[in-house]
Amino acid sequence: MSDGTPADAWVWPPGLPAPDALQASTAGGMNIRYPKSDHHLARSVMSSLAESRKRLAAVRAADLVKALGALGERLAGGLDDRIVAEVARNAGVTPAMARIVVQGVADTWTTESLHRLLCSEFPDPAVLDRFVGGADRDMRAAAPGVTLHIGAGSVPGVTVTSIIRALLVKSPVLAKPGAGDVALTIRFARELHRADVRLRGALAVQYWPGGDPAWDAWEREALALADQVVVYGGDDTIESIRARAPAATRLIEHPNRLGVAVVDPRAAPDADVQAARAVSLFDQMGCVSTHLILLLGNRGDAERWCARLAGRLQALASTLPPAAAPAGELSARHQLHGRLAVRRAASGDTGLWTGGTGAWTVALAPPEVFEPVGGRTAWVVPVPDLSACLEILAPLSRVLQTVGLAGLGERPQAFGEALVAAGATRIVPLDRVPFPDSDWLHDGSRPLGELVRWAELR
Amino acid sequence: MTEVLRELAVLFGGWRGENTGAAKAPDPAGNITAADLAADDAFNRLALRIHAVQRASNPMLRRFWDSAPAADPAAWHEIPPIPVMAFRDVPIACGPPEAVFRTSGTGGGRGGRGEHHVPSLELYRAAARGNYRRHLLRGVERIRVVSLVPDPAVAKDSSLARMAGFIAEEPEVAGAVWAFDSVHGIDVDSVRNSARGTVPILLLTTAFALVHLLDALGPQRLPLPPGSRIMETGGFKGRVAEVDRRTLYARVERALAVGARDIVNEYGMTELLSQAYDGELPTRSSTVRRHRFPPWVRTRALDPATLSPLPPGQPGLLSHFDLANAGSVCHILTEDFGCTTDDGGIELAGRAPGASLRGCSLMAESFLRVVGR
Repeated sequence: MSDGTPADAWVWPPGLPAPDALQASTAGGMNIRYPKSDHHLARSVMSSLAESRKRLAAVRAADLVKALGALGERLAGGLDDRIVAEVARNAGVTPAMARIVVQGVADTWTTESLHRLLCSEFPDPAVLDRFVGGADRDMRAAAPGVTLHIGAGSVPGVTVTSIIRALLVKSPVLAKPGAGDVALTIRFARELHRADVRLRGALAVQYWPGGDPAWDAWEREALALADQVVVYGGDDTIESIRARAPAATRLIEHPNRLGVAVVDPRAAPDADVQAARAVSLFDQMGCVSTHLILLLGNRGDAERWCARLAGRLQALASTLPPAAAPAGELSARHQLHGRLAVRRAASGDTGLWTGGTGAWTVALAPPEVFEPVGGRTAWVVPVPDLSACLEILAPLSRVLQTVGLAGLGERPQAFGEALVAAGATRIVPLDRVPFPDSDWLHDGSRPLGELVRWAELR
Repeated sequence: MTEVLRELAVLFGGWRGENTGAAKAPDPAGNITAADLAADDAFNRLALRIHAVQRASNPMLRRFWDSAPAADPAAWHEIPPIPVMAFRDVPIACGPPEAVFRTSGTGGGRGGRGEHHVPSLELYRAAARGNYRRHLLRGVERIRVVSLVPDPAVAKDSSLARMAGFIAEEPEVAGAVWAFDSVHGIDVDSVRNSARGTVPILLLTTAFALVHLLDALGPQRLPLPPGSRIMETGGFKGRVAEVDRRTLYARVERALAVGARDIVNEYGMTELLSQAYDGELPTRSSTVRRHRFPPWVRTRALDPATLSPLPPGQPGLLSHFDLANAGSVCHILTEDFGCTTDDGGIELAGRAPGASLRGCSLMAESFLRVVGR
């Protein structure tokens, strides 16, 4: 709503009474309202979802792919300027960025993509519908009860993807989007409720401010009644959910992650273009976003490459401008720029290129100085060889996710093995870093496989 | 440099809390008092003189300033500030240190702690003394110090502990109890024993330790003797909102019988040798809380995007130019948010507000925890 009227940030299954009282807040630049915290309501919503389970189970997996794929395609195809502006305002990115991000993510919501995802995990998707015979046993991928999705963040599309995954394995879902992911999630939920009577009882969306003590009773109720919880977020969010979820509730955690790139500039002359895009998209807020670039070569090579990367980032800042940053982020950038300038004056081991008012930063620095600060900051570290890369990556193994490669040949097996040992779960060409495929192994797990419970019949 | 530091120690040591500002006629012989530094001319002259000495003493600082757009400043505010985070990376000193103070931070290089190399403890004491006497000891005949700040003999690298040690050595102080150490925490019994007498207490504490003391007391009251007062510090660097501080003061009043009027917040940082206080006991207001530095410090609020100076009343990133930092570097850009006021004070608003929305990309704080820096 551009006129300041609060947008409704909840969609409940049909049949539930309208909430008695609403509360208003802002999510990004969007005014929203949602039912006030009342744990009895949480119980009602969860019960309603649980009741829908049998109806959802009756829908064949192949039909779910078609239904959800059609929804995803309709949502992506209907992205007019008004919707894009709303998503952008909510996520705190520019409309141009919002359009690219949503279209990129929505590519994984098409019928074709969902079919590929389903088949990649279940060679016979009917295993989601019934027992499928094997040599010595029949197998069944059982739908879990209600899935609770808790999102914390501002990348649009994360919650819709999580909802689709849960519904694909026939689990009703209550989704709490991250504050910056409300607009797109609500739009998807409304579309689903309008379009498919079989699914509308199986999806509830409600925003609430995660971690707010006023919502503790609500969260505890939802956690107690959920069969499994998919939680995205930082350390605080995940620790808070872990502390309150009952032992029997299954937790599937997607903590914040770090993306790096390994580049041989001699063999990949356009790696600077790819790196600039991997750094700039999502304004570096995505778990796949690249922060650290390990560049094969000496310091002179790295300085020349950094200058080229700076040029590419500047060009992207013109065509895909970054959103206005809050004072805290601007402060962090000033501190970083000044800190690197002091370091350069002290030892000369640091180089610094910056865009106007901190729109982007390239820092050429020793690895021990690196820390991910966001705001389109590319840290470039020259390395003599691939083994030096692995030494630098070793301490990052617990947080490493995507490694983008450029100039290292197609699917380099030996280096890939070493990266896996270093903690990487997604090793892809640098130009494919920003948008994972629908069947990607999300944080090292199969996105559908981690949601189901396997049963056997002998 | 040594001569300058000694000269400054004498100058600041003579300050008794007065600010003459621009009204005073300049001394024909060119002699100034610390109070004269409230006038821009006097401050500027001394600032540029110190800057020249720092340039000559520290090649790193010279290179840093030479690489900045205003390499030849005509006024103190044209000297590019050093970001406070830089103290984590490299020693910034204009002479051999007599003490190295370390921040309590958990991130960054060199063990994650910023280091302030201080060539003259005499200057530190002189810079701190006038202001703490003005804000904490005015009108006091006899007082006991109870400190929840660590004993300086133990926490040698804590600038706050060192200042607590200076306060404990003041002539009005009839003994000091060090009731906190990093291993055992707060010694509540020591605090309780100290409270039994009739001599007023000056409780020196971090906001964090004060909360722990109150938690340890639980529902019990421990009224401090009449005339007692509290200096609490910290919190502004830890995102403690003002509303939290009001709640804290209300709890203090209930438990320790010390009203908000008798609690002073000290704003200081390891990287600055001067401090600001938000009132002046015993006449301070309990409602308007403005911090004041001594006259040898200038504070500006800067636009977070451009670092252009903002007029009084407009919040921005705070930079401080502290002449007492002559032995390291005077001009420091902080991460603190606040505004200056028409009457020369500052109103603090905690850390600069960050993004209320965050993505799923790992950011520095978590990263540093994971990699153990």
